[in-house]
Amino acid sequence: MDDTIINLNDARLSLSANAGTVDILRGVSLQVKAGETIGLIGPSGSGKSSLLMLLGGLEKATGGSVVVMGQELTSMNEDDLSNFRRKHLGVVFQSFHLIPTMTALENVATPLELAGAADAFERAAAELAAVGLGDRMSHYPSQLSGGEQQRVALARAAAPRPQLLLADEPTGNLDGATGDAIMTLLFDLRDRHGATLVLVTHSPELAARCDRTVGLLDGVIVAGATARAAE
Amino acid sequence: MSMRLAARIARRDLRGGLQGFRVFLICLALGVAAIAAIGTVRDSITAALQRDGAALLGGDAEIQLTYRRADQAELDWLNSTFDAVSEIIDFRSMVVVDGTDGTDRALTQVKAVDIAYPLYGTVALKPDIGLDTALRGTSERPGAVIHPVLADRLGLKPGAVFRLGAQEFSLSAVLVVEPDAAGSGFSLGPRTIVRTQDLAQSGLLQPGTLYESAYRITLQNDQDLDALKKRADDIFNNGGFRWRDRRNAAPGVSDFVAHVATFLVLVGLAGLAVGGVGVSAAVRTYLDEKTTVIATLKSMGAPRNLIFQIYAIQIGILSIIGVILGLAAGVALPMALAPVLEARLPIPIDVAIQWGSLAQAGVYGLLAALLFSIWPLSRTDHIQPAALFRDANLGGVGWPRFRYFIIILVALGLLIYTATSWSGEVWLTLWMSAGIVAAFATLTLAAVAMKILSRKMASLSGLRGRTSLRMALASVGGPGGEVISVVVSLGLGLSVLAAIAQIDQNLRSAISRDLPDMAPSYFVVDIQSDQLNDFKSMIQDRQGVDRLQAAPMLRGVITQINGRPAAETAGDHWVTDGDRGITFSANLPAGINLTSGSWWPADYTGDPQISFSAEEATEIGLALGDTMTVDVLGRPITATITSFREVDFSSAGMGFVLSMNPAAISSAPHTYIATIYAEQSVEARILRDISTRFPNITAISVRDAIERLAGVLRGISSAVSYGAAATVLTGIVVLIGAAMAGERSRTYEAAVLKTIGARRSSILANFAWRFAFVGLAAGVIAVVTGGISGWAVMTYVMENEFEFDLMSALMIVGGGIAATTLAGLLLSLRSLNARPAQILRSRE
Repeated sequence: MDDTIINLNDARLSLSANAGTVDILRGVSLQVKAGETIGLIGPSGSGKSSLLMLLGGLEKATGGSVVVMGQELTSMNEDDLSNFRRKHLGVVFQSFHLIPTMTALENVATPLELAGAADAFERAAAELAAVGLGDRMSHYPSQLSGGEQQRVALARAAAPRPQLLLADEPTGNLDGATGDAIMTLLFDLRDRHGATLVLVTHSPELAARCDRTVGLLDGVIVAGATARAAE
Repeated sequence: MSMRLAARIARRDLRGGLQGFRVFLICLALGVAAIAAIGTVRDSITAALQRDGAALLGGDAEIQLTYRRADQAELDWLNSTFDAVSEIIDFRSMVVVDGTDGTDRALTQVKAVDIAYPLYGTVALKPDIGLDTALRGTSERPGAVIHPVLADRLGLKPGAVFRLGAQEFSLSAVLVVEPDAAGSGFSLGPRTIVRTQDLAQSGLLQPGTLYESAYRITLQNDQDLDALKKRADDIFNNGGFRWRDRRNAAPGVSDFVAHVATFLVLVGLAGLAVGGVGVSAAVRTYLDEKTTVIATLKSMGAPRNLIFQIYAIQIGILSIIGVILGLAAGVALPMALAPVLEARLPIPIDVAIQWGSLAQAGVYGLLAALLFSIWPLSRTDHIQPAALFRDANLGGVGWPRFRYFIIILVALGLLIYTATSWSGEVWLTLWMSAGIVAAFATLTLAAVAMKILSRKMASLSGLRGRTSLRMALASVGGPGGEVISVVVSLGLGLSVLAAIAQIDQNLRSAISRDLPDMAPSYFVVDIQSDQLNDFKSMIQDRQGVDRLQAAPMLRGVITQINGRPAAETAGDHWVTDGDRGITFSANLPAGINLTSGSWWPADYTGDPQISFSAEEATEIGLALGDTMTVDVLGRPITATITSFREVDFSSAGMGFVLSMNPAAISSAPHTYIATIYAEQSVEARILRDISTRFPNITAISVRDAIERLAGVLRGISSAVSYGAAATVLTGIVVLIGAAMAGERSRTYEAAVLKTIGARRSSILANFAWRFAFVGLAAGVIAVVTGGISGWAVMTYVMENEFEFDLMSALMIVGGGIAATTLAGLLLSLRSLNARPAQILRSRE
């Protein structure tokens, strides 16, 4: 049985700007199997985050094909993409992007509510307890430290049990120790739920914790940079 | 996705507070408050008219006769049918006072009453004596009471003696309250009240004199007003009378209030449209700030419709709050101003909550909020989750989906439909709505053009070295929609003001400058046939008198056209609404042109014939050969229309809609009416000589009448100007909102400019320029659109010439620049005072 969960074939992304069109991704082909962890590395502007956005259906490829979970994302409309994300996807951002007017519990419960879960708040509470924030549930993001906010974001991403977790430099805004703790938590979550993880990072050490590392430079995958870290 | 989920998320999201919505709430509340306040006053007046109907009318019902008193048979019917009957006789006359330094005189509206007057209400006098005592007078002469304005004008104090015709009266007191004053309609002279019997020797109520008699009656509660009116029809010769009853006691006041209130509500709707721009801008700014939240929700899989619902619920809640605030203000304002209002109104009113008008204002507010929120709300569709990965605003660019266009059109349609049906003035409302929509489109296009022009000018080589000016132009022409919002909202408010100023100035010019040039000095009425020759010879050869025109006059009511009730053919045309002046002439008068048909031979004695005013005939739909029944002094005369002629009413000269052949009506008692065209320097002397030699004749100064009319117009104009000022105030709120929204970027800009060495004064000049440009644009566009509206109203509605009033235009442009610059600079001071290091660090 084919267990490929991500299949990118010559995916391209160009954005129009005032000064003209900018080619962000210039033909990326990549296959990822279910349960795999991928570390995306590369310098700033190489297209890592854009590639992540294509995988999450957050941005539409302007060329090539992007098939995730057997679905061609480039041909889906806005509402189909929302539906796809609700069912299959969890995202962790560098800047956390918690909703400031919601408590930690409400932030985590929201994707569950969107998925129509009747026990959204109970599951959210369990998820927060699992990341060590059982006693901070009623706190607002502004009342939490950066590390705590990112733990809430991790809980929010993991709560609906997505098959695909996307993480965009989740430790980029945190100090070293806190960042290590968050990464441990992220990998623990992935191990527990068996999701596929695509992690964007600047850190070769973090990338090394993944099954495979994919290097990007100027919008293309750099030859030889794709390797099984375990090998 | 359920609405409940949307409501839950909306509620959580609203915890962030309503700070960004101050402008939204103020804009909506101001518009609603203006409409609610107008409705509250209008309905309070209407309620007072209904509540006090009998007192305002002076009876439960009134039968009014023109030119005659009831005959014995009619009086018998009245006395046998009703509990109480009171006879009033109303006519114009001159109060003449002989003083030590000459004779003084003034026009007055005399009300001669019987002992039963007033059937309802109480006449209050100063000194506080009863009316009966006051009218009894002294042993030498009967008593009279007069309006304080007349007493002041003639310098009369209680005890003073004056004449009406040939009868002397002793002034007993001045009138403080005349309970039925509002029911009497507009009059040119202040009131004098006397007993009817005391006029017997005055020589004023001779046959043919222009007077009206009214029989006020009281009814048992169970008497049917409509049945009584029908019965009166039979007794009083089929419609040769006018019937009024307590259900519509003061039609003049209620019609006037309804018309003015309708116009003010429409001005209020224009204010709501201006506020709508603020609403729209506030929603856009709010959603810009929510880009991250929306993108985050979308990244979790929230669909477009759910996001739209979340923010539509929030805006809906805010709209309800704004409407409630507006309604509260709309009730509180008239209540607070009640003493001022009551002093200026002709009837006593209780300003109270009027639920009907509040509901209307609320519906207008909610529809306007819906109309102006949908487009910015639809921008949530275009916010991309990718915004979370990029430090760029990836939201809000693109056209709304088709369904939102439908909602916008439905909201607009409902707003116009409700305004049209509630105002009762379909065409006025539709024209005004079209005007607002056209002004909106014009202002938006002009604002976009101004942005493009500013951008182009900013890059002109000639502006190099003029950094502040160039930067201001670049800022106005740069990205962002605030400039357009401000130009549209302030421009629309100023447009309403400009249009009103242009119409007001043109009307005033027409009345006070143009009309006196062509209008006569005096209208003289009640000239008896045997006085005519003496009167003519006294006036026409006098130095300073240009010309004298005289014509016989009777008054009559057109009751039937072609054998059917007149209203069936003429509807509510003014010619058939009440009694009209009728003249007769053997020959076609000089200077009058027939448009069709032919004038009767000078010695014609056959069946009665009518020559009718051509313009009115066209309006009513009359043709040559039609018959018309006119009730003159209770006698119906049926005549055939044999010619149409041109009648010019615009010059305030003598104009009769109806002229008949002499044999038809000359035997009926009649008097002559005359117009005197004279130089102003001899007017006073003419008046003195007329009243000395012919005490029964009344001369009405056209100049005074025009002044009174101009006074009424000034009142209306100032009421409308207050409405327009509320519109401009809303425009300024939008301006302040836009200035506040731009504060963060101005602060950053100021910090960067200071860092690279700019002085505070040049930064301030830069900010001042950009606000002044916006004010200039709003002012200029307003003057152009206001001028076009003013021209259209003067040309097509008033059918008068239009002359552009430069002074008001300059004041509006200057006001626009001053308001924007001042508000902008005040709101820029904080940006200017911020320390650069702090700002730049927090931006990193």
